[in-house]
Amino acid sequence: MSSGINNYRHGHKQPAAARLPREPLPRVKLSRTERCFALIAGALLSLSTFAAAPSAQPLEVMHWLTSSHDAAALAVVREAFTSRGGSWVESPMPGPGGTGRTAAVNRIVGGLPPGAFQFSLGSQLVELATAGMIAPVRTNTQWDAAIPASIALASKYGGRDIAVPMNIRGENWMFYNSAVLRRAGVAVPRTWDDFLAAAIKLKATGITPIALGGQAWQERLLFNSVLLGTGGREFYRRIYEQVDERAIGSAAMLRTYSIFGALRQFVDSGSPGRRWNQTTAFLIQGHAAFLFMGDWAKNEIIAVGLEPGVQIGCALAPAPEPAYIMMVDAFAFGRLKTPALEAAQNLFAQTLRDPKVQARMAQKLGAIPVRTDISDSGFDICSKHAMSIIREPQAQLLDPFLTLAGGLSGALDDAISQYWNQKELSAEQGRKMFLEAVKNNR
Amino acid sequence: MSEACNSTPPHIQAQPQVRAGRRRLSLKTASFLAMIPTAGLVAVVFYVFVGWTVVISFTSSRLLPSYTFVGWQQYRRLFASNRWWTTMENLAIYASTLICGCMALGLMLAVLIDRGTRFERLYRTSLMLPLSMSFVVTGIVWQWLLNPGLGIEHAVRVLGWDEFRFDWLVRSDRSIYTIALAGIWQQSGMCMAIFLAGLRSVDGNFWKAARVDAIPTWRVYLQIIFPQMRTAFFTAFVLMFAAAAKSYDLVVTLTGGGPGFASDLPARFVVEHLARNELGMGAAGACMLLITIAAAVGPYLYMEMRRQKIVGL
Repeated sequence: MSSGINNYRHGHKQPAAARLPREPLPRVKLSRTERCFALIAGALLSLSTFAAAPSAQPLEVMHWLTSSHDAAALAVVREAFTSRGGSWVESPMPGPGGTGRTAAVNRIVGGLPPGAFQFSLGSQLVELATAGMIAPVRTNTQWDAAIPASIALASKYGGRDIAVPMNIRGENWMFYNSAVLRRAGVAVPRTWDDFLAAAIKLKATGITPIALGGQAWQERLLFNSVLLGTGGREFYRRIYEQVDERAIGSAAMLRTYSIFGALRQFVDSGSPGRRWNQTTAFLIQGHAAFLFMGDWAKNEIIAVGLEPGVQIGCALAPAPEPAYIMMVDAFAFGRLKTPALEAAQNLFAQTLRDPKVQARMAQKLGAIPVRTDISDSGFDICSKHAMSIIREPQAQLLDPFLTLAGGLSGALDDAISQYWNQKELSAEQGRKMFLEAVKNNR
Repeated sequence: MSEACNSTPPHIQAQPQVRAGRRRLSLKTASFLAMIPTAGLVAVVFYVFVGWTVVISFTSSRLLPSYTFVGWQQYRRLFASNRWWTTMENLAIYASTLICGCMALGLMLAVLIDRGTRFERLYRTSLMLPLSMSFVVTGIVWQWLLNPGLGIEHAVRVLGWDEFRFDWLVRSDRSIYTIALAGIWQQSGMCMAIFLAGLRSVDGNFWKAARVDAIPTWRVYLQIIFPQMRTAFFTAFVLMFAAAAKSYDLVVTLTGGGPGFASDLPARFVVEHLARNELGMGAAGACMLLITIAAAVGPYLYMEMRRQKIVGL
């Protein structure tokens, strides 16, 4: 028999009555001592929420200085800050700068701004300041006089300081494997034409001339070095600070694109998607001859026990005049409601601006200090070279991130990356894409 | 036996007595009330936020939302962007390859398992194991496998075939197919499980009848069994389309957008633009993605729902 009712009783389903409890659950009875204990534990727990506020309120510092060199640099600042009577609590955000910046913006917009947060100078910071979400710090005229004028300008809004630059990162470095160059009998090139000749010679011996990771920002670094090297400092300024469309349509831009296009054949097939530290390792292991990267590559060189400037040489990318493309990391401050913390923010700014702190921090990071009035003893040979170059105001150039709106900078990255990766595009088409990106995203 | 003759099922009989003066809610009202929190959450999270995105796509928002209306400017900028059209093209290629590949592979595996194998449980479990991995892990491992210098190409060359090339990962025209490959590997287990359930739900008597009529096996499957699995096909299609449309982490870890942005997808385009202080343009991209998906899936959805209503499922 398979009637529904019989299935219900003898079939797969248990009758619901069997699922109900037979008797109510037993009540738990606590003995006297157990009740006392529970009362005391509960009281302690509730008291702990009213823990007494420490007399020096700690400043919350958000940053992404989590790798070993960066952490050592931050430790320098922490030491100096605490020795001046401040106290801070850290909120590290590991990951590349973009994630840390997004996290800081989320905190600020969400209404819980951090006391101090690491950020990059540029249009994002200006937009936050326009929305009134950044707390200005006291200006120090001595500091303003000692640092490059363009950086001083970029860290101000409405005449007041909205950020304190931490260090300068140079982006137009050309690292080379000295042993590989010696074996191939090639000298370090000083112009891009020399570079092309050297690259052809190296490729013939079976070495990859250029170590490049195929990510948009790495391709952009190379492009900017070529732009500076073919057009010169004034041309670079016209393109990236004034965004002059006539300069973009000029012959110098076409020449930049043809040289940039000619470099495509000198990169190995494993390049697309490769991360910058793997690319630096590729150079160090002797598979490639040249690497166009910022000075953070020096930390990778030091990590394998080599000294920058010796086995792995450092020179600025070939250029007619000395120039340094600078990327600036800074600390900015959120608007807090307690005056005690505002004092702590100003103390933090003061600590960062101290020449001794600047020097020691830059040495640990492998970067150069923002102040140009610091002696270069204790820095490696590459940094010494950079510090002597930026003393000349004409040589101080800024990375486009600091001068262009985020959308335009990103669209230019796309245009450059597309040209680099689609090898059938001509220099003329590449220049046109650059111009279209500018027109579309102004 | 007297209980069996009683028409009221035991569980309602055993309900506690109603206390005097307390109104009892009907089952329908009670379930309606219980659904309100979830329904509210869904309404806010989906519809209100989608509406907000549509509003933002008509403003000049950069890093922070602003409510300065600029008309269709963000859409115009979107359509003038090379990258956007590449991502749309990639979505079409990726979605069609993923859906066809997953469903074909899943169906084939389900049919083979259903015909009876010795270690059925083992096959079922192992074929569904890729599903337990996140897209990030899948992307990273497949990136290693497909890297010309480290992975399959290198291994085959070491074995002796010096001219072997499998560098799709680094070719602009082929990198989107590598994403589809990794996606198919991961998701075909899901299709297999759905089709297996569908196959098992078909009445076994059809096979007996087919044997009597001496119909070849492939015709039984094609013309008798598969048409009865419409619901399974529909479910698999919707799930696979959803997986294709929201693909983000796989692109980021497998190709990082491909050489340049050759293997970029719209979801990644939108997120990248949010990071680039282009909230308005990102919102416009998200709205276009929504419209595209609705246009692609809508008609099929409508047809199937209507069919189910008519058939009375």
